Amino acid sequence: MLTLYRPGDGPWHRLPVGPKTAVLMLVVLGVSVLPSSWWGAVVSVAVCTGCYTVRGAGMRSLLAQVVTIRWILVITLAGQLVFTGLEGGTANTLRVCAAVVVSGLLPLTTPVGELLDMLERALRPLAWLRLDPQRAALTIAVTLSTLPVLARLEREVREAQRVRGGGRSLRLFVIPYLVVALKHADALGDALTARGVR
Amino acid sequence: MFLEHGVRRRAFDATDMARVAVFVALIAALGLPGSFSVLGAVPITAQTLGVMLAGAVLGPRLSALAVVVLLALVAVGLPLLAGGRGGISAFVAPSAGYLAGWVAGAFVTGLIVHSSARKPSIWRTAIGTVVGGIIVVYSFGIPVQSLITRLSLEETALTSLVFLPGDLVKATLSTLTVASLLRAYPRAFRRTWLPSRWRDSPATETTR
Repeated sequence: MLTLYRPGDGPWHRLPVGPKTAVLMLVVLGVSVLPSSWWGAVVSVAVCTGCYTVRGAGMRSLLAQVVTIRWILVITLAGQLVFTGLEGGTANTLRVCAAVVVSGLLPLTTPVGELLDMLERALRPLAWLRLDPQRAALTIAVTLSTLPVLARLEREVREAQRVRGGGRSLRLFVIPYLVVALKHADALGDALTARGVR
Repeated sequence: MFLEHGVRRRAFDATDMARVAVFVALIAALGLPGSFSVLGAVPITAQTLGVMLAGAVLGPRLSALAVVVLLALVAVGLPLLAGGRGGISAFVAPSAGYLAGWVAGAFVTGLIVHSSARKPSIWRTAIGTVVGGIIVVYSFGIPVQSLITRLSLEETALTSLVFLPGDLVKATLSTLTVASLLRAYPRAFRRTWLPSRWRDSPATETTR
């Protein structure tokens, strides 16, 4: 399935997951405490572009990140300009944007598998809560394989809806989709039980 | 399907696992590009609809678990949020609090909808989706947004009103959907209800 990861061999790609997460979180924290002034805005933009001007990242992926969060930025900026004025509004919006874009480096430069391993290691303390970490890992694995199935079912139901003249209405889509999805859930549950998962 | 006599069911069996997985994937699929036009051209995410439906169908515990699994996969870098967003950046964005609110919101929706042994009525579902899916979600989302964007709480609440019409539409839609689902595919709820007081049981009505 499609992930956010882009292969490369820059410094961010070569850094191991743990330290990389720590460094990026520290940068995000640093950016988050900048003051809401013009120089705060300049520093956050500089830090953000600085993090991306290395091999394996680049301005193109920085722009792509900004484009993905454009609606959040528009809404934030609108509210800020109305209530805090030009300087504070611009600075706050740029600061938020920089924090989000910098943290975007983690999924951009780390394969999902490595992050999943980290997640599984993080799940181990669940045993202290009398929860089964293996069961949690199995749930995640089952979910990963279900994602493409439900995306395909979504396409099929939408196509059927269009063919019957239902347009793009969410109302006409949601019930058939839910029934198809839940039937799949029952079948999947039976299949898991048949394979010895209780 | 049903509990066998004398055999205790595991608290979280394979069918529950499958239902959680399917709802995670369903919430993700509702955020796929080619979004729905609910209110004209405004791109509206149907994902909160998925959260409300999860609460109403799965009940409190499983629906909260489904949202937690979804967020774990998002944190790991899968682009499962509306508009193909994902990664830990989703948890430092101004909307991070709403994601935390989804967990509590699904739980509360499930708690209210499944609160009685009788089939959920339209009103119980409506109250559940509005309280859980809107009020609880906002009560997590607005303070965090205010903290991140440094806008005062009142002003943030005021700007969040933009989303209220869309969320009310989604609450209405999920209420009607749950009512239809109770008739179309009652197995989905994986529990047996006492007959609902008015429609299904003329016998009890005459004895009352």
